Amino acid sequence: MKVTIISIPVRDQEKALQFYTEKLGFIKKLDKPLEGGNRWLTLVSKEAQEGPEILLEPAPNHFEPSKVYQDALMEAGIPYTQFDVDNVQSEYERLTQLGVKFSVKPTKMGTVKFVVFNDTCGNNIQLVETL
Amino acid sequence: MTFYESEIKRIRGIIHSNQGQIDTIIGMRNYIDNNYDSHLNLEVLSHIQFVSKYHLLRLFKRYYGLTPRQYLINKRIEKSKEHLRNRTTVTETCFAVGFESLGSFSTLFKSKTGKSPIEFQKEQLSRSK
Repeated sequence: MKVTIISIPVRDQEKALQFYTEKLGFIKKLDKPLEGGNRWLTLVSKEAQEGPEILLEPAPNHFEPSKVYQDALMEAGIPYTQFDVDNVQSEYERLTQLGVKFSVKPTKMGTVKFVVFNDTCGNNIQLVETL
Repeated sequence: MTFYESEIKRIRGIIHSNQGQIDTIIGMRNYIDNNYDSHLNLEVLSHIQFVSKYHLLRLFKRYYGLTPRQYLINKRIEKSKEHLRNRTTVTETCFAVGFESLGSFSTLFKSKTGKSPIEFQKEQLSRSK
């Protein structure tokens, strides 16, 4: 068995695609049409294109508990997904300039430094640097 | 303040209160990152940090979740992939990243990546054609 997919629930797949590629810098890998305008839409990281794929899935629009859970996480400020970066401070500055809103500014905790931002599609996302 | 932020603050106060200890262990990781290609062992590392080697081992495991030896091996394997992608031979790669025996390098590489170094290199080079 292999780990290949990390699901991220999003309210609007097209908007998510733009945010994750244009702002975060991911690359689109698969884009297959499904029924009802939904897509099987996956992204990979530029530095690890053979690595795991992010699946931007429209679950909150079709399955109420998914929406409830996503809203509760947002309200509590909890990031359910995190990505590794080499330098949290420089990503924080770069993304702030692109208009991304952060709920946690660069913070050190033990041997990591992290930030949390809003992906505009219903999720808090955490970026982590290992110190 | 969100629930997440208050939890972070609470947990940090409990498990990350000893900043001196954290600085020591971050210093140790940096030292491994910069010297992974040389002969490293706990004796050397504890001498540099002026801490007993068993204490250092426990601290490293507590803060990074793996032992210094496991961390060093992962670092060397990760670096060896870069060398192999750049067409360095397996033998040269092995010594360039600090391993002292070709046998242990090949065994570790296979156990970490699922492929032998030569298989990995062939696959990478055929992909870049």
